[in-house]
Amino acid sequence: MKTPDIFYVEDDLDYAFFMQSAVQEVKDTLNLTIVEDGAEALQRLQSFAESKTKPKLILLDLNLPGLSGLDLLKFIRDIPYLKSIPVILFSTSDNPADVKASIEFGANAYLTKPDGYDNLVKCLHSVHDFWFNQHLRLN
Amino acid sequence: MNNFSVDLTNCDREPIHIPGKIQSHGFLIAVDQSALNISYISENIDLFVKENAKNLLNKPLAQFNTFIDQDGPEFNIEDLLKLGVIKKSFDAISPHPLSINGKPFYLIISAAHNYWLLEFEPVTLQYDIQSSIGRSASAMLKGKSVSALLKGAAIEVKKLINYDRIMIYKFLDDGHGEVVAEEKEEHLEPFFGLHYPASDIPKQARELYKLNLTRLIADVNTEDSPILTFNENEPLDLTNGSLRAVSPIHIQYLKNMGVFSSFSISLISHGELWGLIACHNYSPKFIDYKAREGSKLVGQILSSALEYRQEEEDIEIVEKFKNTAEILAQYLSRDHYLIEAITNHDESILDITQASGVAIIFENTLKTLGTVPNEEDIKELAQWLKKSTDETVYYTHRLSEIYSPSKKYKNIASGILACTIGKNSDEMIIWFKPEQISTVNWAGNPDKPVTPSENGLLSLSPRKSFETWSQVVNNTSERWLPEEVTSVLRIREIIISHINKRANEIRLLNEKLQAAYEELDTFSYTISHDLRTPLTSIRTYAELLLKNKSIDDQGKKMLDRILTGADKMNFLIKEILNLARVGRSDISFETVDVQKLINDISTEVWTAFKADNAELILGHLPTLSGDKTMIAQVFTNLIGNAVKYSSMAQNPKIEVDGYLDGGEIIYCIKDNGIGIDNRYYDRVFELFKRMDNVKDIEGTGVGLAIVKRIVERHNGRVWFESQLNVGSTFYVAFKNK
Repeated sequence: MKTPDIFYVEDDLDYAFFMQSAVQEVKDTLNLTIVEDGAEALQRLQSFAESKTKPKLILLDLNLPGLSGLDLLKFIRDIPYLKSIPVILFSTSDNPADVKASIEFGANAYLTKPDGYDNLVKCLHSVHDFWFNQHLRLN
Repeated sequence: MNNFSVDLTNCDREPIHIPGKIQSHGFLIAVDQSALNISYISENIDLFVKENAKNLLNKPLAQFNTFIDQDGPEFNIEDLLKLGVIKKSFDAISPHPLSINGKPFYLIISAAHNYWLLEFEPVTLQYDIQSSIGRSASAMLKGKSVSALLKGAAIEVKKLINYDRIMIYKFLDDGHGEVVAEEKEEHLEPFFGLHYPASDIPKQARELYKLNLTRLIADVNTEDSPILTFNENEPLDLTNGSLRAVSPIHIQYLKNMGVFSSFSISLISHGELWGLIACHNYSPKFIDYKAREGSKLVGQILSSALEYRQEEEDIEIVEKFKNTAEILAQYLSRDHYLIEAITNHDESILDITQASGVAIIFENTLKTLGTVPNEEDIKELAQWLKKSTDETVYYTHRLSEIYSPSKKYKNIASGILACTIGKNSDEMIIWFKPEQISTVNWAGNPDKPVTPSENGLLSLSPRKSFETWSQVVNNTSERWLPEEVTSVLRIREIIISHINKRANEIRLLNEKLQAAYEELDTFSYTISHDLRTPLTSIRTYAELLLKNKSIDDQGKKMLDRILTGADKMNFLIKEILNLARVGRSDISFETVDVQKLINDISTEVWTAFKADNAELILGHLPTLSGDKTMIAQVFTNLIGNAVKYSSMAQNPKIEVDGYLDGGEIIYCIKDNGIGIDNRYYDRVFELFKRMDNVKDIEGTGVGLAIVKRIVERHNGRVWFESQLNVGSTFYVAFKNK
């Protein structure tokens, strides 16, 4: 299995579709893996750890059925192999309490889901610029 | 024998039941109950039989039988005593008629510890008194009221025993007596209405009046006859004896009054001495046992009639009070406001007692009915009551003597009856009774019952003057009846339970409202949140479709409309989320630098509304205490509105100024925009309400609702002044902490 550049957990199929489309628009060589719920995400994360493959970036929807984005974040931070991966919480909520909790749980960033496709593309451009170019260079 | 020496310090301890003497119109023998030997005998027996008293002492009673005329079958006194012992009472035996030396006598037998008292007294009555008593009783009972009953009784007693003066004498609370009915010979000066000091009838005399319902003093001028005995250390108890000699003080008292003979009948109500029927004669007068018993019966009939009539009158009062309480309870459950319920109807809190005025202090309101002191005085009185008593009910009929500031309104309130209502002791009801200036006509000055004797010592003389001595009693109201106090306690219970019930209702309502509010907040929050996701999808699909080259212009136009609609809806949802958030979040108070806040806001607002031509004038901007985010929202919305609704003006001008006013900091945000029609004043802050004149301007009708909610959560106020096409000024007042 190919290591994904971006590992994305999103239960909203529509948004997953937009994300797929927007990611291709930003850079068509970027490899995006999307899973729909927390349980499946957990399995995938475990297999990453076992097969020593590491996605370059993890995007987590905050509100997921079953395990929430914060639960997954905690799980990631508890596994030594995965814990250095940048994690961005991605949510429709702009409630300061959610932001605060995410940062406290160790998220690298908190992004409010942009309104509209164009905004999403713009958002992904900056995410890409920062986490795949500038950030990597810093590493 | 009786060595008790009476002086002024002990006169109410004089042992009047063991005087050692008898009145001399009859004679007395006392025999011990076992041996029937003559243990005591009155010295004057020799005036009635041909034997000296000393010769009979310690002899068997049988010896005395020889002096009794034996007309019919053989008679001896021992048989009479045996009969009484068997019957366990001498009521049916006394009086036993007999004859001594051809003269008729009554023998009256009674008990005195281990002795039998045998009293012999002359028979005088020539007619059958029983039938007269029946007539008298029915005549007397015709009186419907208590006073008519008393007057009737006096008339009938006069007819029965024909004393010169018959008075009905009533004991008042403090023990002094008042003549409440009188029947007399015409030429006599009336005593009706006169008061007699309590000392005129000492305590132990009253006790005897309760035991012996009649008391005869036949002649104040005859010399008493001593009782002879060998039992010198054991004075004979004459409590039950009718010949018992009279205390020398009382004899002197009667003499001073000019009375030669006196007869009294006790009136007993509920086991207590209610009063006396006092009969005075201005010459010596003896009435025999049957006449006395007849009078006693009249007294007993009067006593029970009095009890009954008084109870009837009391019950009437109690019934009236109860009815009033019930009616008020109904008003309380029907009317909205407590004070109105108990004061605004025909039956009011004033009718709970016989007061002439009432003041209710409740929820910082003073309401009065009837004749009451002025407001300031009532409030001071209430303060004094609060300080000086913990009792739920307090009453006095002599207020000015306890609380001197009340002197100036004693004519209105010499009597008060106050009760607290509710836990707060500030809240109370006070009933007022006016001063009752009454003149008491004493039969002589009650403070001078004693005259110094010639040697300068205060001697045993009861007062000599019975001339009317008037005393004005003031600072006093009519007394509060026990029925009035009970009535007040009853209405107090009703009012308190009503208050508690109301408080509970309000609390429950509040809780429900609070719950409903929270539910609504949660609901709007969730629904808005859930609406956003599919809306975003709709918008995004429309955007993606627009990128599709195969869509024609018509299609693109429609997709544009979808985008616009979605944006509008998104904005609205955001606003509702904001509003819901105000209700949900906790307020964290901090000092807010308004100057800095407005700098940030204005940049944002001016960009958002592209309001380059609008001028912002900042005045004094004092700091506020409150939730920084929320206060920012208030200013954003108000300044945003000001900019938005003045965008049509030629030179839009927005002024922001703050000032301190009492305990509040008030900010005003003024514009020269299109203004608000004052007809819609009340609707401006309502959710989703937008005015007619702003149809063409973008808006949701949520902004001012948020402002109001935030301000209210800060315990502040918000209002506005506006004129159409001139401009609006919004005011926000925050507590200055």
